[in-house]
Amino acid sequence: MPKAVSTLSSTSAPREGGGNTTQDHLRLIAEMTREFTASHDYKTIAQTSLERITKYMSAEAASLFLVGDTGDTLACSACYGPVDITGLRISAKSGIVGRAVQTRQGTMVRDVRDDADFGAGVDAKTGFQTRSLLVAPLSIGHDCLGAIEIINRIGGDGLFNQDDLVLLETLARAAALAINNFRLTAKIVQQEREQHELELAAEIQRDLLPRPSSRDFPIHGINIPARSVSGDFFDIMPLPDGRIWFNVGDVSGKGMNAALLMAKTSSLFRCLAKSAEHPGQLLNAINSELCETNSRGMFVTMVGGLFDPATGRLVLTNAGHEPPLHFDLRTERFNPIPADGPPLGIAHGIAGPDGYPVTEIDLAGGMLYVFTDGLTEATTFGGGMLGIDGARALIRDHAEESPDLRLKSISGAVKLPGQSLRDDLTLLVVEDMSMGRPAFMPPPRADLMITDGEILRIRVPARPDRLKLIRAAVEQAAKFCGAPEAWTFDMTMAVDEACQNIIRHAYGGRHDAGDIVVDFVRRNDVLEVDLMDFAEPVDPTKIKSRDLSEIRPGGLGVHLIKSVCDDARFMPPPPGIGNLFKLTKRLPTNIK
Amino acid sequence: MSYEIREVSGAAIVALTGDVDLQTSPAVRQKLLESLEKHKRIVVDLSGVHYIDSSGVASLVEAFQVSRKKGASFSLASVSTAAMRVLSLARLDKVFTIHASVETALASQG
Repeated sequence: MPKAVSTLSSTSAPREGGGNTTQDHLRLIAEMTREFTASHDYKTIAQTSLERITKYMSAEAASLFLVGDTGDTLACSACYGPVDITGLRISAKSGIVGRAVQTRQGTMVRDVRDDADFGAGVDAKTGFQTRSLLVAPLSIGHDCLGAIEIINRIGGDGLFNQDDLVLLETLARAAALAINNFRLTAKIVQQEREQHELELAAEIQRDLLPRPSSRDFPIHGINIPARSVSGDFFDIMPLPDGRIWFNVGDVSGKGMNAALLMAKTSSLFRCLAKSAEHPGQLLNAINSELCETNSRGMFVTMVGGLFDPATGRLVLTNAGHEPPLHFDLRTERFNPIPADGPPLGIAHGIAGPDGYPVTEIDLAGGMLYVFTDGLTEATTFGGGMLGIDGARALIRDHAEESPDLRLKSISGAVKLPGQSLRDDLTLLVVEDMSMGRPAFMPPPRADLMITDGEILRIRVPARPDRLKLIRAAVEQAAKFCGAPEAWTFDMTMAVDEACQNIIRHAYGGRHDAGDIVVDFVRRNDVLEVDLMDFAEPVDPTKIKSRDLSEIRPGGLGVHLIKSVCDDARFMPPPPGIGNLFKLTKRLPTNIK
Repeated sequence: MSYEIREVSGAAIVALTGDVDLQTSPAVRQKLLESLEKHKRIVVDLSGVHYIDSSGVASLVEAFQVSRKKGASFSLASVSTAAMRVLSLARLDKVFTIHASVETALASQG
């Protein structure tokens, strides 16, 4: 096909010694494969390789075509010979080269005039005359990246032979691997560049958050992004009259889009707060601004407030956000402040004619906690979601600590070192110090356990010879709950079967592949058993009960588990855990 | 887990005792299949089984299937409460021939 102006042997070297031996072939393959793997410069290596092959085969020209993005065309990415056709596009569906790409088969055409697939269009354009051809596909696995063609054997009988084709196919396979590697490397470089940009964005974003407050300042906040950039934010902005604006927001979605909307919303808050009288008016104004430009269905939930440290009173507006908690130290109770307005950025005037409503709260020496669902929906090490009760328990547990330490302790309870969160987490506390720093004496610890009703937790190697120990643990835990024998037997069997699945499937039956953690928790009249492993996550859809009409060994465990438990399912595993399988079984009603 | 195999009038009585679980069921499977090589009648005595799991049940099913192919007789006898619970949950209590005791098993096969 390609290449122009048939000139002569400056481009082609005669076959060494009048014909290449197998040894020569092997040497060439070895050398070129080495060059392919050693080089990082695709252009140069493609060019020099084509030159070498052409000369070695005593041919006139060679070109390398790569399949375009749509798969319909082939573009010449390198060539050697009298005419430069780099950039030339031909069909990937027709022609002799197209045929090699479609069939993944090398082809030898001794005289192109005898091949119906030969298209003379390129020759017509370039003036080159193609007589004979060798084409080999650049195959890698099931993919074909393109093809290499060698044109016009010079000297001898002027014909390519079967040996030439086999050699070209071998070289094409090595070349395909090399091209694939070049592409992967380029992709990694691109990813690294994007990651770097994301890190820069994260740095800018961190700068948008307020600096840590001094210990005697009444408002403190913390933000922990799940990825490098966050869709959560908070802000604290003191006014000259002593009052303090604050907010906590959560942008729907994650990643760069969310981060940009976060930056915009937080700037709007800062800017518009200077002229707003109360948070209802402020959030109304932010909503209007966001609706002017926001698109793609993204929105922001926000709690905005204005606190007066002199009186301990604050005015609050909640736009579709997780209800903040007022921790009243006089009653030791939590009062949630519900969402009374819709999220920001959805529609103009969505909050009604009066705009976003406000709630006035007298902290009365207490505290207000505002947080994102990254806290309440975080997974605890025990496996469950922290939930609002868990959040309250944590707040009580750490009530005596200084505000900064307290925020770190609370967020640290759901973020394990070295693990990333599932969602961004933001937590802010407003403390009424008008009567001195809030003092809180926590009630006895027993009432405060997050995992109220934890009975037993064991961690054992995932091995068949430990199943007996696990069964003994279930029996003891059930006995501890006062369960009768038959109930205990069923639960023991369910746990045993679930552990077998971990050993056999999650860990693939490998010896000493990892551990199993079995956690027994009683919640009222229910015994929950969490089974955790450290294996690769399994696909629960692939685990099914067997069809009982079909009698054969194996596949019975899941059926047994489901027969005796009220519920058995995979749960989102907490950080550091591979799989979490939760068994739930109601205890008989007559036990205490 | 332990097992004992005795021969009574040409039949092999395989008595299992203890826990038949993932750890011990491979041995049970092997013993049952070996017995089927030598005998035309097998009675598995499950009176001493405190616990049997799905892998143990699978061994019994496999032996049962092999016996059918060979035209041998395979039955369970004196099944403990625990083993019966698992067999009935697996709905295999109707599949196996189950006898109240080894004696009745032998008599019926007699």
